[in-house]
Amino acid sequence: MSDSLLLTDFDDPALEQAIGTLDGWRVERVASTDLADATSARPEARAVLIGTANPTILRAVTERAHGAGIPVIVACADDTSRRRAVELSVEEWFRCPTDAEEIAQRIRAAVGRGTTAPGAVASDLVERVEYEQMLHDSLTGLPTLPVMIERSRNLFKERGELVVLYLNFVRYSKIEEIYGWEKLDAVLETTAAAVREFLDDTALSTSRVMVSFTNDDDFIFFHVPAAGVEAASESEITEMVARLQRHVGSRIEAQHGDDIAALFDIYVGRAHVYYNPKIRLERLIYRGIREAANASRSIEERERARRVADLRSSLRDRAVYVDYHPIVVTDTREIFGYEALARGVMRSLRSPEVMFDVAAEADLVWELSRLCRTRAIEGIETRLQPNELLFLNVDPHDFSDPAFDENEVKYPDRVVIEITERTAIKDYPKFRERLRLFRERGFRFAVDDAGSGYAGLGSIANLEPDFIKLDISLINAIDTNFIKQNLVATMVKFANDHGAKVVAEGVERAEEFKAVQDLGVHLVQGFFLHRPSHLPKQPAKQKAGR
Amino acid sequence: MSKSSLPPILVVDDNHDNAEIIRQYLEIRGYPITVAHSGDEALTLFETVRPAVVLLDIMMPGRDGWEVCRVMKQHPTLGRFVRVIMVTALDEWRDKREALQIGADDYVEKPFDLPTLAATVQRNIDMQQAKAS
Repeated sequence: MSDSLLLTDFDDPALEQAIGTLDGWRVERVASTDLADATSARPEARAVLIGTANPTILRAVTERAHGAGIPVIVACADDTSRRRAVELSVEEWFRCPTDAEEIAQRIRAAVGRGTTAPGAVASDLVERVEYEQMLHDSLTGLPTLPVMIERSRNLFKERGELVVLYLNFVRYSKIEEIYGWEKLDAVLETTAAAVREFLDDTALSTSRVMVSFTNDDDFIFFHVPAAGVEAASESEITEMVARLQRHVGSRIEAQHGDDIAALFDIYVGRAHVYYNPKIRLERLIYRGIREAANASRSIEERERARRVADLRSSLRDRAVYVDYHPIVVTDTREIFGYEALARGVMRSLRSPEVMFDVAAEADLVWELSRLCRTRAIEGIETRLQPNELLFLNVDPHDFSDPAFDENEVKYPDRVVIEITERTAIKDYPKFRERLRLFRERGFRFAVDDAGSGYAGLGSIANLEPDFIKLDISLINAIDTNFIKQNLVATMVKFANDHGAKVVAEGVERAEEFKAVQDLGVHLVQGFFLHRPSHLPKQPAKQKAGR
Repeated sequence: MSKSSLPPILVVDDNHDNAEIIRQYLEIRGYPITVAHSGDEALTLFETVRPAVVLLDIMMPGRDGWEVCRVMKQHPTLGRFVRVIMVTALDEWRDKREALQIGADDYVEKPFDLPTLAATVQRNIDMQQAKAS
């Protein structure tokens, strides 16, 4: 039945417009008082839209409509009629006045939902919500793989070939580890939007391209060449991938900053699948995906080997420099100290996380740590003001390095050693003994990424820190989340009771700054106030220490 | 839409008495309240009521509050705007961390104190409206 009838007493020009956007619909207007009878008399109606606020009519029409299996939409003038509508279990409602788009959407949703027997309502709707979530990734809006296979089935059969591209995004999990899941969600959203944008723009868009999201952090492209068009060649794909990488990279940098952009890499594997009527189509496609995924992994392996070589040469040439990220006193915004961030001179090793990841794979962590420490500490003399502290990241494993000697570091009273809460410390008594020796020399300690885990305050108390650096995930959007505010307040109270100072890291927005200030956080670090920079050298005569 | 009308709230608690107490207290303050007595019912009503705020009990038979919160927050259109307040004794660090992980926005400790509950609802509505504008 192509002709869908909407019965209504709702008199609004927006409804006319809405009907115009729906395919094959027409409206029949009835006086409110006649709507119930009209509903019974016209069982072929596809939906009833009730505009009146009269509760008796609302009830009568809804009962008749549901009796005839016709879904009901209610235009609610106020909260009272909305409540009545909800209590009557109407399929959809909207608040008046509203635009044509919403009305059309509500009509579509009501019809799509249909009426169900009262008992079945609950489980059916819950299933529907879950079902929708299975079909589309709610974050990226991209279809899941089974949906994509269904959609490409006929095209693939007709054209006989399909190119699968597997986009392996590496280190997205690192983003989650450092910044929390909300950040990764935001980055994935940016990525998906950038990928879509890119596809609309690319030469491949003349043929059929589909993207799916594997729900982890990889994307899959299907490229079915249009009739009469050759499938993209190897070199075209290589070129496209390079452009895609640049495009996504620049979008991420623009929206999330260069620290996050430096973490990100895409490795693309490809597979060409030919239709074979003897083999089930799904299996062909799944094999193609596996082949493309493996290809992307082997590119990743190759790239990794190249980075290890880069790291070795960087260590040999001492090609590491330090960016200093200011930590300021919250209330005065005066500079209190700097966190040293070591970066590789080579572009591939720009991000400290990447550099240390590569070092861990190649068993070069101590060597890299020594170089980074030396470089950072040089800055106390050459770049910092006499009253400013240097916050230095030290991995707990570095304390086992015989070359890390508390007596050999100059200006111990100006160094704050940051130890991350994330690393498991194996030999606690021995570790604490080492800390004691450093403390006696005048070093101070900070617990980095505090509150990142489920452990709470106990593990922090164990280290008796002078500073507590809150995990970035607690600061990100703290102004809108009251649970984060509560956790930070707990941490500040704990610090005040133990004579420590709390540092909020990753403060990027004015609202976040205000929130941590209101919560009594002592020190702040983040792009909102300063970006990390290569501090200029101070005049040589400056005396360090006090 | 008139600015003066308060946005709808969905109260989810398998304990009918608790749910009624909350409903009455908030209704007097002018909030339109819908009550659900299970996770499934809450999810069913979610799209119809389109609540600004959900007051969600954690311990419920069937789908518990954690799961309901997770599903609501993943809803393609409503998930972004709804504010979820967990009604529970979240006194441990780990519970609060867990609540953050599934996307909850706030919590009210049980046994709840009604004025605190109302203040918590209000601050979440304020936050939502600030975000929407």
